[in-house]
Amino acid sequence: MFNQYNFYSSAFAKLQSINYPLLGLITTLFFVGLAALYSISNGDFNSWPLKHSQRFILGLMIFFLVIFFDLRLIFGYAYLIFFLSIISLAIIPFFGIESNGATRWINIAGISLQPSEFVKYTLILALAKYFHSINNDSGFIKTLIIPLIITIVPVFLVITQPDLGTALIILIGGISLFWISGLNYKYFIVGVFSILCSLPVLWQYLKDYQKDRVLTFFNPERDPLGNGYHIMQSKIALGSGGIFGKGYMEGTQSHLNFLPEMQTDFIFTMLGEEFGFIGTLLLLLIYAALIMISIRLALKSRSLFSKYLSLGVCNVFFIYVFVNIGMVTGLLPVVGVPLPFISYGGSSMLAVMFGFGLLMNCYINRNIIIEKTNY
Amino acid sequence: MKKSSKFIFQKYDTENLINRRAALVTIAKAGVFSVLVGRLAYLQIAENSNYKKLSDKNRITHRFLEPERGIIFDLQGRPMAINKQKYEIIIIKEETRDVEKSLVNLKSLLPHANIDIEKILNEVNSRKKFIPVGIIDDLTWEDFSKINVNIHKLEGIYPQIGFKRYYTQGESHSHLIGYVSPISKNEEESNPLSKLSTAKAGKIGVEKAKDAILRGKLGNKNIEVNANGREIRELDRVNSVQGNYIQLTIDSELQKFCYERLKGLSGSVSVINVKNGEFYALASSPSYDPNIFSKSISNETWENLLSDKYKPLINKSISNQYPPGSTIKPFVALAALESGVPHKETFFCDGKHLIEDTSLESGYKTFHCWKKEGHGNVDMTKAIKVSCDVYFYQIARRIGINKIAEVCKRYGLGEKVFKSLYEEKSGVVPNKQWKLENLGSRWMVGETLSAGIGQGYFLTTAAQLSLALAQLINNGTRLSPKLIYDIETSNVYNERIIADPKYLKIIKNALDEATNAPGGTSYRSRINGKYKMAGKTGTSQVRAISIKEREEGLIKNKDLPWEKRDHGLFIGYGPTTDPKYAVSVIVEHGGSGSGSAAPIASDIFKYLFEKKLHLKRNEIFNV
Repeated sequence: MFNQYNFYSSAFAKLQSINYPLLGLITTLFFVGLAALYSISNGDFNSWPLKHSQRFILGLMIFFLVIFFDLRLIFGYAYLIFFLSIISLAIIPFFGIESNGATRWINIAGISLQPSEFVKYTLILALAKYFHSINNDSGFIKTLIIPLIITIVPVFLVITQPDLGTALIILIGGISLFWISGLNYKYFIVGVFSILCSLPVLWQYLKDYQKDRVLTFFNPERDPLGNGYHIMQSKIALGSGGIFGKGYMEGTQSHLNFLPEMQTDFIFTMLGEEFGFIGTLLLLLIYAALIMISIRLALKSRSLFSKYLSLGVCNVFFIYVFVNIGMVTGLLPVVGVPLPFISYGGSSMLAVMFGFGLLMNCYINRNIIIEKTNY
Repeated sequence: MKKSSKFIFQKYDTENLINRRAALVTIAKAGVFSVLVGRLAYLQIAENSNYKKLSDKNRITHRFLEPERGIIFDLQGRPMAINKQKYEIIIIKEETRDVEKSLVNLKSLLPHANIDIEKILNEVNSRKKFIPVGIIDDLTWEDFSKINVNIHKLEGIYPQIGFKRYYTQGESHSHLIGYVSPISKNEEESNPLSKLSTAKAGKIGVEKAKDAILRGKLGNKNIEVNANGREIRELDRVNSVQGNYIQLTIDSELQKFCYERLKGLSGSVSVINVKNGEFYALASSPSYDPNIFSKSISNETWENLLSDKYKPLINKSISNQYPPGSTIKPFVALAALESGVPHKETFFCDGKHLIEDTSLESGYKTFHCWKKEGHGNVDMTKAIKVSCDVYFYQIARRIGINKIAEVCKRYGLGEKVFKSLYEEKSGVVPNKQWKLENLGSRWMVGETLSAGIGQGYFLTTAAQLSLALAQLINNGTRLSPKLIYDIETSNVYNERIIADPKYLKIIKNALDEATNAPGGTSYRSRINGKYKMAGKTGTSQVRAISIKEREEGLIKNKDLPWEKRDHGLFIGYGPTTDPKYAVSVIVEHGGSGSGSAAPIASDIFKYLFEKKLHLKRNEIFNV
């Protein structure tokens, strides 16, 4: 049972030891998103901006909730949390909500959530605990095969939804933790090589529209009114923004509806059109600062679990940002990944706040030493 | 196991390892971010001007503005072809991602509309992608507003207000004025309006002849559009210019009267002013409603018009050629006078004329007069009055075909009357050279005899006959035939006496007798009054009558099937004292000129005399 005094004092202490620059940057990004959505909705605050704010507030609540949990408790329940998130993924084919040919959402108490968004972080949680717990001298199966299976299961479930983008982010996020935890680099070389070899096989499993997207990525002019349309219009919007942009709420591409899905995946394009290179550079700097601070905070932890968890969260976040911006600038195929904190999307917002909650918790409890368990 | 584990995990110095690996990851991240920054710099700075152009191209669309077609007026300034507003829908391929989907959506929205998706798809794909293609031409206001409300579902489809041609005079004028319909493939290059698929071009009649004048100039506008192609605002515009107005010499009331008088018959009427060559009427029957072409005409209607045996689509006053029959006789008579045949010289008519023909068993060929028992002694005046064939066989043979042809050509036969009307036929005035060139054989004597009574190779049109007569009875003043008051062509006439007035008087007198003296071929159709008409009947055979048939007795025309009956012709002028009008009437398979054509001419003259139509130009000024 909680000692009431202890609880409040420790809560206060936790609030005190939060890294506020990081929270400040997160809030800044939220406001950038708010401004973007306000522009896209043509000055109607009650549509997307209002909902975006509500979600951010909900996200903040999750963030603080995660902080207030004892890190050891989180460590203890890490597998359970991961397991629950896998279950929620697994039941999607039966209870999920379909939209645009993909089934990604489930309805929990009237709110539709996208479990795959959360799995990105719960996988990191599980892997962090796993790598924390195994010994230096553990065998091949224990050190490689089991964590690989842990990673592949959610990736496979997400691919079948189908959601190639999120699956890739989960996979790369998980693999990045293999790297951090010190797996011999030779395995990565072998891994990359075998993935390249298996690409033709994987290609067979892609849905037609996914194949189209990949093909169109390599040649956007292939079908300028079909799949290439997104990329072309996105590049036109960014490019026509120039150095200084067309001005807030003055973007012709976005306001004349040439940009598809601009409130979600292509929101960066709209910012680029209205604020120009200066704007996009500033935004990238904010993301860079956020990631740098995250890495710095992560490395301050004493326990391996904390380090793995924090760096994992940081990596997933980074991949998110990179894939989204790479996608809208035409460097990567259009895979449908939102821009964290800015894109309009509930699950993504809540999940990323959950992730940073974990990261902040690790930082606050950086001096805690966690015993190894028998996983 | 132990040996390999060392290689699997390198945890001998965990703290250091993590830091090192995290540092490597951070460097990688920094590298990736640099790539992103570089990419953004490339797109937003280096390629800015290119993308700016593309963005403007996206947002700014060029639209052509349809010009209003010039109005066609009649002699009195009554509008005969005007423009009405209509609601139409078009599709632009360039602004559509899936043409078929848009069309399917449209079809589900307007289930009653006749939308042939396949046909439109073909049309869209065969044209340049920025050219709008019409889907529905004439829409009700209800459907039009329905489209406007659901425009977001109809990518690339635009409702717009256009013009439709409306012909106030309906079918009485349709052959003459013609009609407009969408610009065809082979007109595309020469017609600047083809950039607008909804634009129309004249297909026949005056609409075609003067299309370049009537069509006007395209306007255009630049508009800002959203991704659905919906117009947000107009950036700039050059207004279209309406086509020029055109005034015809036709009097629409007279034209209507002529057309009504032809109702139920297949034929044509041409009325010309003998003093200045202005055509007051050019009617053809049966006809069609030109306004059906303003909507998209159904295949069935079109097929019916094409296959109708009375050929309603043909302008019979200029596009159908007929042997002139006896209406040629005044001209043959003139040729005879010029060749020195005295008009008082008489020939004996016993109902037939024989010429040697060794190819026949009997050694001679018989040419019959229309009157079996013959006319007895006839001079020129009587020959014209009673239309004696034997007289003309003999003078034709004496003066020869080349002289006959020369006179006929001088009066405008065998030549197009209106150079501008594309569908006009020129007719044939045969002579020796013509036969050699066109049929590759020598001229036969018998053919001169046939030509002398307007049969054989002779072909004329109603307009030609009226013009030829007009020049004959106006004392030989050459006329420039006029149908359209052009701005370019002046009213100066190329005056030239083309015949000796002395001879013309003889022929005029004979024509007068033919109508106004008892025994004349058109005596029954004479007008008793202050103003009189005079003229020559003609009956032209459409089939050869065999000897056997003649021996068994001629079948009366009314007992023959319609297609085999003779054409009835009449050319006339009036008033006889001071001729003002010349009229030609052709009734296809009407039986005889005196029975079918002359009464119509008579009614037209009565109308002209009694109504005292003020046939003077009421000028329309181009605005």
